[in-house]
Amino acid sequence: MPPKNALLFRRLILLSLLLLLPVTVHAHAEKGTIGGFVSGFMHPLTGWDHIAAMVAVGLWGAYLGAPAMWLLPVIFPVVMSFGGALGVLGVPMPGVEVGIALSGVALGLMVAFAARPPLWVAAVLVGVFAIFHGHAHGKEMPISANAMTYAVGFVIATGLLHLSGIALGLLVKWPWGRVMVRATGVAIAGVGCLFLFGFMQ
Amino acid sequence: MQSPASQARAPFPGVFAIAFFAALPMRAEAHMTAPGMGDFISGVLHPWMTPTHLIILLALGLWLGQHVPLRLALPLKVFVPVSALALALTTCHWIVVVPPPILVAIAFAAATIVALDARLPGSAAAVLLGAAGLAIGLDSGVETGTPFTIFKTLLGTWVSLGIGLVNIGYYVSLATERKKKWVDIGVRVAASWIVAISLMMLAFALRKAHAG
Repeated sequence: MPPKNALLFRRLILLSLLLLLPVTVHAHAEKGTIGGFVSGFMHPLTGWDHIAAMVAVGLWGAYLGAPAMWLLPVIFPVVMSFGGALGVLGVPMPGVEVGIALSGVALGLMVAFAARPPLWVAAVLVGVFAIFHGHAHGKEMPISANAMTYAVGFVIATGLLHLSGIALGLLVKWPWGRVMVRATGVAIAGVGCLFLFGFMQ
Repeated sequence: MQSPASQARAPFPGVFAIAFFAALPMRAEAHMTAPGMGDFISGVLHPWMTPTHLIILLALGLWLGQHVPLRLALPLKVFVPVSALALALTTCHWIVVVPPPILVAIAFAAATIVALDARLPGSAAAVLLGAAGLAIGLDSGVETGTPFTIFKTLLGTWVSLGIGLVNIGYYVSLATERKKKWVDIGVRVAASWIVAISLMMLAFALRKAHAG
């Protein structure tokens, strides 16, 4: 067998073995400590509107450079939890879904156009949108879930999405990376538009 | 014949062995138990298995380690003795279930200070550490068991609280003393996550209280 094919064959066997890894059987979902964490962790990851906006925050922060790169991911979870608290308490907030979709559009466009507003403008913009995202997380929290671990899960997932955005945004150091980051901004704005006009839910 | 480059890229046979053994079915665990665990170890693990205690320790540890040089005099003079006193009080029929919102509020306060990168005056810092020691201590009471087993469990909790807090502060300070901007911001980001979690917890507690 030619060396390249042999290598490919070995890798396929290795991959097949890894696929055989035993997995945990979940008899119940969204209950108790672990269920709360899993439920909270998965919540921001199961909606493209959330993913797009969180990644956009990191991307835009990286584009703006320090201190915005680090300040925006500090502001976002704090303000988001305020929105989450409103959602948990059942305080009505009109246009939450529209606000979430708009966050994707606005933040995506900021990245696409490489906008560099003053830091406080960026902070206010991100903060306002964070309230909508937080409200959705808080309102949709399963009653049976452990509140603490649900909150831990969704805050960590949100933070990791920001970090993913920052990591991607660090590509702006290279010319090709700048094009890629701005193209990602266009894609995020596109996803936001799809949600805004009801093509995705 | 394989080229040296392709030989170097070929997965090591040991990797196959590891993958094979990893694919073996594992025993199903219906319950998380620690059979044979001593009372002392149970006490040691208690603060780390109680989410509200854990976030307080993390927030206080971040706060202690945020500004170098690490100053441990106040935690050792306030947190350690107050937590010992509170744990001792639980043995005198002072089993108090500290409302979770109080514990969460302490974590919220400590984490907010870190996220804002603020410095507390000594008296305020002592109050914060004292409140944390008192709340965690009173919330760690043992209801059943012989006096000796209760003593061992509470001793484990006390040792764990003191050493745990000092350790978190120490490791955070090891990172912050490198004077790297990203480390400072990383500490503040971690604190902002604790603020967010605490705020959500407080809201949930309020909703529960309203629901009756």
